[in-house]
Amino acid sequence: MVISSNLKAARKAEKEILREVAKHGYAEACTFAIRLALEEGLNNAITHGNRMDPTKTVQVDFDIDAERAQIIIADQGEGFMPQSVPDPTVEENIEKPCGRGIMLMRAYMDVVEYDKNGTRIRLVKRNAQKG
Amino acid sequence: MPKTMRTGLTLRQKKVGEATVVRVKGSAGIHEAEKLQGKLEAIAAEGVTMVVLDLTGMDFICSQGLGAIITGHLRIRRNKGELRLVNPQPAVKKLLETTRLTKLFGIYDSVAAATS
Repeated sequence: MVISSNLKAARKAEKEILREVAKHGYAEACTFAIRLALEEGLNNAITHGNRMDPTKTVQVDFDIDAERAQIIIADQGEGFMPQSVPDPTVEENIEKPCGRGIMLMRAYMDVVEYDKNGTRIRLVKRNAQKG
Repeated sequence: MPKTMRTGLTLRQKKVGEATVVRVKGSAGIHEAEKLQGKLEAIAAEGVTMVVLDLTGMDFICSQGLGAIITGHLRIRRNKGELRLVNPQPAVKKLLETTRLTKLFGIYDSVAAATS
């Protein structure tokens, strides 16, 4: 699906994806992780990637079954280098209100892959209940 | 519906001694974080020096919600005050530990403990 660069549009995408997750009976902890990564990914694409430019869109694709949930989010921004984002857990950054999104996606998802431009992210979470 | 999928945020404020206690219910995700930040900034603007966030009823939080709490903490600290957290649910506590924010905030088991 293609959504506009605003949080209202993100909410619709999120509802649809989480409905699909619920259909496949993911464990509570997995659902939390997927929702977290989804919100972080969408927020990054809309706010940082597209800078909330109403002329830009975000592409959200998902493929969810009983074994694993895969979500791909792509923005139309200029791109960035994910490895250049400072570690938010070190002392000098701990009181900064932002900068935790990528770290959280990496901590909670089984796969987090950016394309070489940093404008597309692939997130995968395996369903813990399925082993 | 699993509780981690619920949306919407309710904030109920009351005084307990010198402290302002905000009971948080629901989700502090990307859609609700601004509301939480607004509440904490409003309390800080009143000059309150002890703010307690009761997280017992918080089902979900993302980095934007964490940012709202951190911004509130910084504003309250300007009053030479403190923001304390109470009874986060296991998933929220794990998030606080993952982000190492347990080093920034005092986390208490109850409002009574946080306000004593």
